[in-house]
Amino acid sequence: MEEKIIAIAGNPNTGKTTIFNSLTETRQQVGNWPGVTVEKKEGYYIYKGIKFNLIDLPGTYTLTGESEDQKIAIDFLTQNKVDVLVIVANALQLERSLYFLILLSELQKNIIVDLNMVDLAEGEGIEYDIEHLEKLLKVKFVKTIGNKNIGIEDLKEEIYKKCKEPISEYFKFNYGDEIEKAINESGNIIEKLNPPYPVRFFALKILEKDEYFINYLRDRTDYETINNLILNLEKNYSKPIERVLIEKRYGVIHGVVKEATIEKKKELKLHITEKFDKILTDNFLGPLIFLIIMFIIFNFVFLFGNPFVNFLELILDKLKFVFLSINLPLWLTSLINDGIISGVGSVLLFIPNIFLFFFLFSILEDTGYMARAAIVADRLMHKIGLHGKSAIPMILGFGCNVPAIMGTRILENRRDKILTSFSTPFMSCSARLPVYLLFTGIFFRENQGIIVFSLYLLGIFVGILSIKIFGSIFFKGGSSPLIIELPPFRMPYWKSVLIESWIRTKSFLRKAGTIIFLGTLILWFLSYFPNPNNYGTELNFIGKIGKFISPLFRFSGFDFWQAGIALIFGIYAKELVVGTFGTVFGIENLQDTIRNYFTPISAYSFMIMSLLYMPCLATFLVLKKEIGIRWAFASLFWSLFVGWLFSTIFYQFFSFLKGG
Amino acid sequence: MEKLSEVKEGKYKVIDIIKHGKLKKLYNMGIFIGDIIEVIKSSPGPIIIKKGNITIGIGYGIAIDILVEKVD
Ligand SMILES: Nc1nc2c(ncn2[C@@H]2O[C@H](COP(=O)(O)OP(=O)(O)OP(=O)(O)O)[C@@H](O)[C@H]2O)c(=O)[nH]1
Ligand SMILES: [Mg+2]
Repeated sequence: MEEKIIAIAGNPNTGKTTIFNSLTETRQQVGNWPGVTVEKKEGYYIYKGIKFNLIDLPGTYTLTGESEDQKIAIDFLTQNKVDVLVIVANALQLERSLYFLILLSELQKNIIVDLNMVDLAEGEGIEYDIEHLEKLLKVKFVKTIGNKNIGIEDLKEEIYKKCKEPISEYFKFNYGDEIEKAINESGNIIEKLNPPYPVRFFALKILEKDEYFINYLRDRTDYETINNLILNLEKNYSKPIERVLIEKRYGVIHGVVKEATIEKKKELKLHITEKFDKILTDNFLGPLIFLIIMFIIFNFVFLFGNPFVNFLELILDKLKFVFLSINLPLWLTSLINDGIISGVGSVLLFIPNIFLFFFLFSILEDTGYMARAAIVADRLMHKIGLHGKSAIPMILGFGCNVPAIMGTRILENRRDKILTSFSTPFMSCSARLPVYLLFTGIFFRENQGIIVFSLYLLGIFVGILSIKIFGSIFFKGGSSPLIIELPPFRMPYWKSVLIESWIRTKSFLRKAGTIIFLGTLILWFLSYFPNPNNYGTELNFIGKIGKFISPLFRFSGFDFWQAGIALIFGIYAKELVVGTFGTVFGIENLQDTIRNYFTPISAYSFMIMSLLYMPCLATFLVLKKEIGIRWAFASLFWSLFVGWLFSTIFYQFFSFLKGG
Repeated sequence: MEKLSEVKEGKYKVIDIIKHGKLKKLYNMGIFIGDIIEVIKSSPGPIIIKKGNITIGIGYGIAIDILVEKVD
């Protein structure tokens, strides 16, 4: 089949991924804040007998590699063969999107502009004369409403048509005689190097003093001649040339947009967003609201989740009964009941809570709160030498640490990225939730919400502490200041909230079916052998291994082998902490058995340990990939140490209080 | 003329952006010298400005280099 490559690019938060999902009928993550997509995602669709391979790129404002996610977009666009480039423009911010169009036009590719979010623009009384825009900018425009799937068929058709025609004419921006002359002259020098970029594009990048391109040039030829050209230009304009370029582009765009805007009923708008912004980012109210939101989330998760959990518990019991009553070989019954149902089951039990958590979390993302949280966090983050944007990956960490650490790619400098990634494993991810649910359900029934909330706060505290300590030891200098776009506030789109929370729950389920399942098999094996009659006791492998490390927790209040083995398996995946208890204590009277082993104090101490110790295997691997093996190991040892330290201090302190 | 980091909420005109890297950043995000902006939240803490449909949060470190003038 004939294949074509289609790239989707544009400013952050314009709806690129939404369009990508509609075209390919897949479900990549979308969210109402800039920087959701941080790596390029691929998919495809078939239209009129052609296979269109689609690439969704991270959003960028310009074409300079300021941060890692942006570099990915630029590298791809400049170095790969792209048949059609779809630029997703936000109809509410047309000027900026067209600026991006002008920059990309220099790549001399087939371009289509997808004018997205036309519903929002219409709501503001803004409409554009598309034909006029097309004529002025020599490029096809297609109107879409991405999240309602409107205009997608048109887009497919236009992409198809564009593939069929050769690159006809493209918009060539005229910078004026003087600058054009400089572009040509540097172009002549550049051409001799045979660079893998269009010469004119390259020359413009040089005039803009883009470090990457200047270095490319320096390595291969004498940069002085071109530099003199630039200096000359700057003398004439008496300002930096890159500023002149930007101003010229915007000057033209401004005119174009003005001409093409047809009707603008200036209604008196109630500025709800501003009011919200003022309150939510208030220096005093902002942090308070953030805490209240978190607090509400946790209570909600319990209040509405628990009845379903109880129901699932009943089903699991019934299931076990069924397997007992059919006459299977003993070992098989044990594998199914003691291994799989107890292990995987004890994790799956908490699906209702997890789903609720993701649901509320997705609402936060969809309303646009995430970017506000970055503003709220900025002052605190400044005190520890980071800026507010670091708060976004950290908050994402409450969902799962792995994508959160990848999310640090939105940060501009390496130092910020390392410190943020390093502290993210302390953000209590949803895999740790089952541990809290299990223990608080037994020991803190009355105030589950508060107890769990306190653990999340502890995680944040330790994360901040780690940044402070490691930041001052390993890095000099501070962070680059914050600058972040705030997407408009709005009511959540329930459909996309449901989809987002379902995607996340599904990946939790998938994990339960694969990684956790595998883990339980190993657990069962270790529990069953070498003495099948003494399943899950210290006579078997599992007890021996557990016993080996349990003395470590002598002073933390849980120095029995069952806790030791649970923590070991938790390294593989944190859900397995609960899975292990299910296996070694048996799921039927799990609660009573745990009550025999733990006290409220040692239970809390154990929860502290589960929260803080060791990133899980997947997190470790992503840390290694994003910030290097040394930092990954640093994170491993450091978290083991603080986990042990905090749980021990807690246990000793409260035991002393109680005893004295 | 005042620094953006020092002003109260209200409407302002951007007069100059001193540091070059910062100017480029703001330009790329669609804020220019000569623009009329609205300050929605003032410092301490990040400043939030709005121009048309673009709302941007700006840290103190950037705001001190943005010079503005009050308009009515
Ligand atoms: N009202 C409206 N909302 C839209 C439209 N298209 C997308 N959205 C919403 O806009 C938000 C951003 O969408 P994404 O697809 O994540 O944007 P993106 O361009 O991929 O963003 P980054 O990956 O962060 O650069 C989401 O909340 C979408 O639901 C549209 O046409 N109209
Ligand atoms: Mg995206």
